[in-house]
Amino acid sequence: MKVSFFETVRYRAPEALPPEWPVPSGAYDRDAGAQAYRGMIERLEYVEELGFDWVSVSEHHYSPRILTPSPIVSAAFIAAHLKRITIALLGPIVPHSNPVRVAEELAMLDTMAQGRLVVGLLRGTANEAMTYDLNPQEARERTDEGMELILRAWTEPQPFGWQGRHFQYRTVSIWPRPLQQPHPPTFALGTSRESCEFAARHHLGCGVSYGPFEVMAKATRYYREQCARHGWQPAPEQIIYRANMLVAETDEDAQALLRAQSNQAPFTMRAGVRAAVMTLDSRNIAGEARSPVVTGALPTTFVGSPDTVVEQVRRCREVVGAGVLDLSLHPPGSGDLDSLMRALELFGKKVLPRIREM
Amino acid sequence: MTPAAFREGHVEVDGVRIRYMEGGQGTPLVHVHPADGLRLTPAHDLLCRRFRVVALEMPEGPSPEHTLARAIATLGIDTFNLVGTSFGGPAALRLALHDPQRVLALVLEAPVATSPDNRDGDLERRLATLATPTLVLFGTMDAVAPPALGRVYKALMPNCHLVFVYAAAHAISAERPEAFAEVVVDFLERHEAFVISRAQTVIHP
Repeated sequence: MKVSFFETVRYRAPEALPPEWPVPSGAYDRDAGAQAYRGMIERLEYVEELGFDWVSVSEHHYSPRILTPSPIVSAAFIAAHLKRITIALLGPIVPHSNPVRVAEELAMLDTMAQGRLVVGLLRGTANEAMTYDLNPQEARERTDEGMELILRAWTEPQPFGWQGRHFQYRTVSIWPRPLQQPHPPTFALGTSRESCEFAARHHLGCGVSYGPFEVMAKATRYYREQCARHGWQPAPEQIIYRANMLVAETDEDAQALLRAQSNQAPFTMRAGVRAAVMTLDSRNIAGEARSPVVTGALPTTFVGSPDTVVEQVRRCREVVGAGVLDLSLHPPGSGDLDSLMRALELFGKKVLPRIREM
Repeated sequence: MTPAAFREGHVEVDGVRIRYMEGGQGTPLVHVHPADGLRLTPAHDLLCRRFRVVALEMPEGPSPEHTLARAIATLGIDTFNLVGTSFGGPAALRLALHDPQRVLALVLEAPVATSPDNRDGDLERRLATLATPTLVLFGTMDAVAPPALGRVYKALMPNCHLVFVYAAAHAISAERPEAFAEVVVDFLERHEAFVISRAQTVIHP
């Protein structure tokens, strides 16, 4: 089992912020921001020392919850400071990006980080459609086309034009190309039928997140079926499961942490916006419809003492089939750095060595 | 414009009677069809808004390009744009090599002329001498002429532009006629300058 630490940049707001997304930019505190990015590097040095395989970063906008609107910038910054750990960029929001630019930047990063890059490509959470005025009804199609163009830009040796549905270029010929050939290990992230099919068709990995094991297993099972249809079998490390984990010395302590946790949804939208998103966005798990909007806290699927968590990881491996765990060890946005560091230490010393050989 | 804009005709050369379909006005555009025969697609309708489109049935014989060249001349066409689809691609290439001064520009749609497994060395050598502005199109879903073949033409031909048509399989012009016609018209009008965008992005003046 490979283990990844999901780095969200812990911004500690000097005063309470409104919960609604987007959070007013004027409420940003520069000193708190500077401290958050300094703290990120200090924390990740410890994460590397503990033996994590990857550190992951994601793309979220207009909120202090996850302070990496350009994950490529955070990834490059991390790569420059840490010398061994693999940087998992999970991932650029493809439908509102310029896919050629994404291909170029990831190739640069892969080369500058000496091949320590893993890439996840995705459609983005429902609120992110509003970041750069993306029509949610077009997001799925734009994601598929953008992902295909990124792969083509990485691998095509001759200058080419792209006559797409949503993207059009007359000239593409990227420099540098990725250091890893034909390209960095790449995952299509998401539970949807479309995402699993894309991953299977292009021999990519698959990544699922947060849901209970049995529910996520529907997607990973579908992904493996589709891979078989295309004549190949994914390795365990081609399936990522991103999850929240609350680990404490005892089960009781971990349960107490869970009870104390806020039930705040990650990106709370105004009621009228949420209602509109519900009608315009559509999501599924291996073809079964699911709500595009998360209304409460994301589930925490690993809770307990080190012994309990090790058994939960074993079950996750069996049920979901994931060979990579991408973990938040304390809810993003909690700002409680002491708890996070205690959880990191406990996980690194008492869980990580026992799940590595799974 | 509807398919009714096309009319059927016949032209006789070398004792061979060749059927053709013709529509539109302007600079002539000669189309050489794929192996399954002369059939009009929505792309023909789009192309005939800008060009005099003449889709000719491929004559049989050892040197069909010679017969084709004479048939085109008999129709009163001196210089023309040339589009070859699939197995019509090698035929169009031979026609362009036979009569390069008459071909203004060449479009190869999912051509099946040469491939890494089945190389036509003689054709490849001659392609290196063909200075005609050429656009080569491959569908990203094509299993008959895989898009990776595009780089072969691009590397061989001195004035070749490669464009991938997303989500199209082998029959690009039938599957994505608007995408096909847009890039073909733009290329035939502007040749290599088609790489400069003329898209308007002003939202509100």
